[in-house]
Amino acid sequence: MSDAATTSATPPAPRREIDLRAVAPFVALAALLVFGALVNPNFLGIDNLTNVITRSAFIAVIAVGATFVISAGGLDLSVGSMAAFVAGTMILFLNAAPVEGGVPMIALAMLLALGVGALCGLANGLITTVGRIEPFIVTLGTMGIYRALTIWLAEGGSIAMASRDLRAAYRPVYFGDVFGVPIPVLVILAVAAIGAFVLYRTRFGRHVMAVGSNEDVARYSGIKVDRVRTITYVIQGLCVAIAVLVYVPRLGAATATTGLLWELQAITAVVIGGTALRGGVGRIWGTICGALILELVGNIMVLSDLVSEYLIGAVQGAIIIVAMLIQRSLARR
Amino acid sequence: MKKIVIGLAALALASAAGFAQAQEQKQLTMAVSIPAADHGWTGGVVYHAEREAKLLEERYPGLDIVVKTSPDGAAQANALEDLTAQGIDALVTLPHNSDELTDPIRQVKDSGVFVTVVDRALSDPTIQDLYVAGDNFGLGKHAGEYMKERMTEGGDIVIIRGLPIVIDEERQKGFDEGIAGSKLNVLDRQFGNWSRDDAFKVMQDYLAKYPKIDAVWAQDDDMVVGILEAIEQSGRSDIQFVVGGAGMKDMIKRVQDGDKMVPVDVLYPPAMIATAMDLTAAGLFDQNPVRGNYVLDATLVTQENAAEFYYPDSPF
Amino acid sequence: MSALAARSATAAAPVIAVEGLAKSFGPVEVLKDIRFDLRPGEVQAIIGENGAGKSTLMKILAGHLQPTAGTIRLGGEPVKLAGPVDAEHRGIVLVHQEILLAPDLTVAQNIHLGREVRRGLTLDDKAMNRSAREALDGLGAAIDPRAVVGSLSIAQRQLVQIARALLVPHRIVIFDEPTASLTPHETEALLKVIDDIRRRGVGVLYISHRLPEVKLLADRVTVLRDGRLVGTYEAADLQPADMARLMVGRDVSKLYPDRAAHAAGKPILEVEAMRVPGYVRSASFTLGKGEILGFAGLVGAGRTELLEGILGLRAAEGSVRLDGRPVRFSDARASMDAGIVYLSEDRKGKGLLLQQNLRTNLTLAALDRFTRGALLSPAREEEALTGAIRDFDIRTRRRDLLAGQLSGGNQQKLLLAKMMLLDPRIVVIDEPTRGIDIGTKEQIYRFVAKLADDGKSVIVISSEMPELIGVCDRIIVMREGLVAGEVSGAAMNEREIVMLTTGAGEKEAALAVEGTGP
Repeated sequence: MSDAATTSATPPAPRREIDLRAVAPFVALAALLVFGALVNPNFLGIDNLTNVITRSAFIAVIAVGATFVISAGGLDLSVGSMAAFVAGTMILFLNAAPVEGGVPMIALAMLLALGVGALCGLANGLITTVGRIEPFIVTLGTMGIYRALTIWLAEGGSIAMASRDLRAAYRPVYFGDVFGVPIPVLVILAVAAIGAFVLYRTRFGRHVMAVGSNEDVARYSGIKVDRVRTITYVIQGLCVAIAVLVYVPRLGAATATTGLLWELQAITAVVIGGTALRGGVGRIWGTICGALILELVGNIMVLSDLVSEYLIGAVQGAIIIVAMLIQRSLARR
Repeated sequence: MKKIVIGLAALALASAAGFAQAQEQKQLTMAVSIPAADHGWTGGVVYHAEREAKLLEERYPGLDIVVKTSPDGAAQANALEDLTAQGIDALVTLPHNSDELTDPIRQVKDSGVFVTVVDRALSDPTIQDLYVAGDNFGLGKHAGEYMKERMTEGGDIVIIRGLPIVIDEERQKGFDEGIAGSKLNVLDRQFGNWSRDDAFKVMQDYLAKYPKIDAVWAQDDDMVVGILEAIEQSGRSDIQFVVGGAGMKDMIKRVQDGDKMVPVDVLYPPAMIATAMDLTAAGLFDQNPVRGNYVLDATLVTQENAAEFYYPDSPF
Repeated sequence: MSALAARSATAAAPVIAVEGLAKSFGPVEVLKDIRFDLRPGEVQAIIGENGAGKSTLMKILAGHLQPTAGTIRLGGEPVKLAGPVDAEHRGIVLVHQEILLAPDLTVAQNIHLGREVRRGLTLDDKAMNRSAREALDGLGAAIDPRAVVGSLSIAQRQLVQIARALLVPHRIVIFDEPTASLTPHETEALLKVIDDIRRRGVGVLYISHRLPEVKLLADRVTVLRDGRLVGTYEAADLQPADMARLMVGRDVSKLYPDRAAHAAGKPILEVEAMRVPGYVRSASFTLGKGEILGFAGLVGAGRTELLEGILGLRAAEGSVRLDGRPVRFSDARASMDAGIVYLSEDRKGKGLLLQQNLRTNLTLAALDRFTRGALLSPAREEEALTGAIRDFDIRTRRRDLLAGQLSGGNQQKLLLAKMMLLDPRIVVIDEPTRGIDIGTKEQIYRFVAKLADDGKSVIVISSEMPELIGVCDRIIVMREGLVAGEVSGAAMNEREIVMLTTGAGEKEAALAVEGTGP
């Protein structure tokens, strides 16, 4: 409880502060872009930036789902494993080719992936809410389960798309573009726009914020807390599936390393974006910004000749911390 | 589901065998401790270990083989203790990491177990009765030599390394020696973590950074998959070819089919675990002399000999 | 106790004196030109409405806030209090209004938090438990030092907090509304403790909204209004009504609204043999249309739990009929849909989202009314906020504040407004005026009366007997998870209620218990 909060003499609070908080991640992103341009002039090339934004799609889309889960006061560590599992089942389905024709086949596989993702999310949500177990533990458990199922499906190796024709038909979903805008970028924009709409403009979104702010108040206000929580996990599962829809056409395979550590990247993107880990505040566009920052950091490191390849991890960590510092110092103003 | 049933059945058999062992003197147990399948190559190791275990158990009715996979070095150390506690006669192991596991394996050895080490030599080589490995240095060297011969006029190459561990260093040294004295110019070297996704990203970044690249060397065929995808997407035609390593079946197939981008591959077969198990069993049962070091050649696979190394059923 | 006020403090040199004290938060001036002194062995009450600046003044004296201007003298020496630790070293301790304890630690661990007793390298739990028990015994509180704080009631936690504050050597003790959540019995015990402290020659600053208590305890009374000093008076010269007038600046002698005697309307809510495991053994009552029904009882008697059980907020069994039809509410949504709302006693923990703005809080329970399809309409929400600020007289300088930044009284008004958006037929208000100043109290009482006049039914749960007697048509008294009895009409007086709450009421109480027993 802040000192001022209990007196009516509250410090003038803050339309401006709120704005700054939302803008902060974008300032950090801009600073990073300037830094990148200084390091290597090629950095600002259209091709390079397009590549980076395109490949940030997986983390960005998953992190939109994570924004919902975290805003509602939850956590999902299983997203990386879930992505591998969804990708694995999707490819196996494509390889089984139960229907004729490339496009209907792919469409069906996409539906299946969304269904599997939603079910995985539902499992996380139900175990957390019905079982009354800490989400950290639940999703740590399902993280192992989804990962092991993937490896089992792959029989220890990788699951690759067998049909070259299907592969060719599906490939444009990652590599194609519409009027020069890569499809994955459109996917990011669409998912973020829908996510922002749901979180900020709908009753459900308001309920998510309320549950994350204070579960008891939400319950006493007639909100079905468990249902809201569970749905956030289902949204997370759907977002993972959408990321997979874009991931599979890139390399056409799921391996034991697919999605490794994506959960940490997604959570990092959410936090850099200004969403509070304790819940109650969610910033979808900030999250997208966070995902871009993460991807740019890696890109700048490869493009630069600043440090030995052995030290890249250290510099990446330092840049993320600096980005957070910029973000927080602006937000505190 | 079926797998689970089989697994349970195997467990039941194993315990039955353990029971039988108490009565019959000829029963012997071989433990196989290997890393869990965390990328394609280790996936191949697991596949070949399990396949060979079945074959050997058929060949030697008195032999019981326990295959145990571990996700990291610490877990493997624990697994080794558990296996020893069960009472084993021989251990075939592919350690996660030499330094960390040398002492745990020494303890296994001290309890009178025959120790076979695969791929990654221990810090103290006196522990291992039998050592079976691929030629990491040779893998790099053959790749380097191929590039040197192919590009006598010189050229710009980029390298994607694996993870910073001993194997990676040896391959890198071999490659540097292979290209020594050539006019090749190494533009850049970065880690791709033996992952397709990471290699894809690094290659994209190389392509943005360097306007002209003649060839790519990657330490592993898994990463080559990501590299090829990145090159294809960029639409660039300056890259003439990519050399990988390990002998993944898709890559062998490409070599066999005469793919211009993948003209050769260098063998580093995950099936070496099977070789090691086979030799160990032979030593145990047939009392053939097997102690010593076996280094499998890092054979250069070309279109001519590719058919010899193509296993369509292997997961890797 | 009546002797307490008669003791007038000696004219010894003041232990603390402030002059020209002022405090601003940015452009907002919260305190201006405050001047008073406190003598050793004196209890001085500081009274004022919510927002008058009492809490800010206390926080300055305890070193939590720095004044913008003015001087503080301790024993004649001007001092600058660098922080709470510095203030504590100088012998000033503050007993906070809010509960600031670690809920997962034990009572003794909390009391000794930051000043643990050690034996060598390890903690001396025995010694800490012993000294905690002594401290609690001194307060007349039967609380096990080894109990986890999270398992205690709010009143018990308050006592733990007082015990903790009094553990350090002190010459000035500041109590910030210590009795706000205590029952009369506990209050009496605490006033005795404070009297003991005074006898030791310690100066006591005492903030309270309970004016009769102030009259009983204080030697002098300092009144603040809107951040300014109204004056310091001898307590003997003031009656509670005078104090209220000085605080509010107008006559508020009529705190409770006039209500025509109500013929009980037809029963709307009938509860029979309600059992809430762990809290209520069995309780039955009926609520009539247009009736204001009070629930009296000690903390722990099961009043809150009974209503929460009926409304689906906690597990319970028993029969509930609404308009004669049997109902069972699975959660708050179900009871709200049936037209019953519940305003929790725990405004900050269960009533409002302190980190969210007023609009979000206002519409949270009735969001359906602000949507088209699934889409929210912020414009309509803003409209509703404008209406709520006007109708409920929510005093806020800005509309974009967070709920946590409002004063207690305005939070309660916001919570009322929030629940009224549901247009309920039955309103349950738990401790409607806890921690609320007298001016706001009056507004809330009038509002409750108006609800009943409009034909709605109201249940008021309260630990303040005058409030129940002043507002309710009928009062049900609970004791130890049972309905101990019911009073109405002429029998609605404090003596009667106390007999029932404490079980001192011999036969009547005994009969009532048997009559409703399981």
